[in-house]
Amino acid sequence: MASDETCLIGEKITVRGQLSGKQDLVVEGRIEGRVALDSHLTVEPSGLVEADVEATKATIRGEIRGTLQATRQAILEASSRVTGKVSAPQIIIEEGARFSGEIDMEVPLPDGIRAGGV
Amino acid sequence: MANTVIGSSIVIDGEVSGDEPITVLGQVKGKIAISQNVTIEAGAHVEADVEGQTVTISGRVTGNVVARERLELKTDAKMVGDAKAPRIVVADGASFKGNVDMDV
Repeated sequence: MASDETCLIGEKITVRGQLSGKQDLVVEGRIEGRVALDSHLTVEPSGLVEADVEATKATIRGEIRGTLQATRQAILEASSRVTGKVSAPQIIIEEGARFSGEIDMEVPLPDGIRAGGV
Repeated sequence: MANTVIGSSIVIDGEVSGDEPITVLGQVKGKIAISQNVTIEAGAHVEADVEGQTVTISGRVTGNVVARERLELKTDAKMVGDAKAPRIVVADGASFKGNVDMDV
């Protein structure tokens, strides 16, 4: 079986627990728990992920509640609703996206200045 | 609507539930409770109780299976657990260990 086929969690499916893997995942349904992917995660407008998420790249069109950590890039598209913490070297927030929480881009700060002020 | 697919490199530890057909190519530990058809493909490894309308197994299942309509064990299926379904088909080559309840 080809390991590059896309994995889909359909609109009426709920996954509770831990999900991990190495192939691209598209979420149209619901995931609660933890997601650890070595690949691209897409959350479609109907998708809801209440979890701590790790992926190389994340494209969000739906809803995320929790922490999102992308090793390469996180894109919050116009239809996305994200609550929590997003960390990635590259974060794109499109106009219309709703986001509340913390962003960490691991920006190298000048000497003498620490993140979080003071 | 595209089918839900749990891909071959995907591991789920927990519960998968819902109301649309799913195909499992990867690993699921815990529970699968679906009100539609469940297909467990060759190469898949399921250590879970499985509940579905029609349950078709070509992979490896350890756990109890309840099919509301029909349970089919294909040639490559390996199943250990109890099976409950009004209709059960076991193909030549399939291996199965467990109790069968057809509600006679």
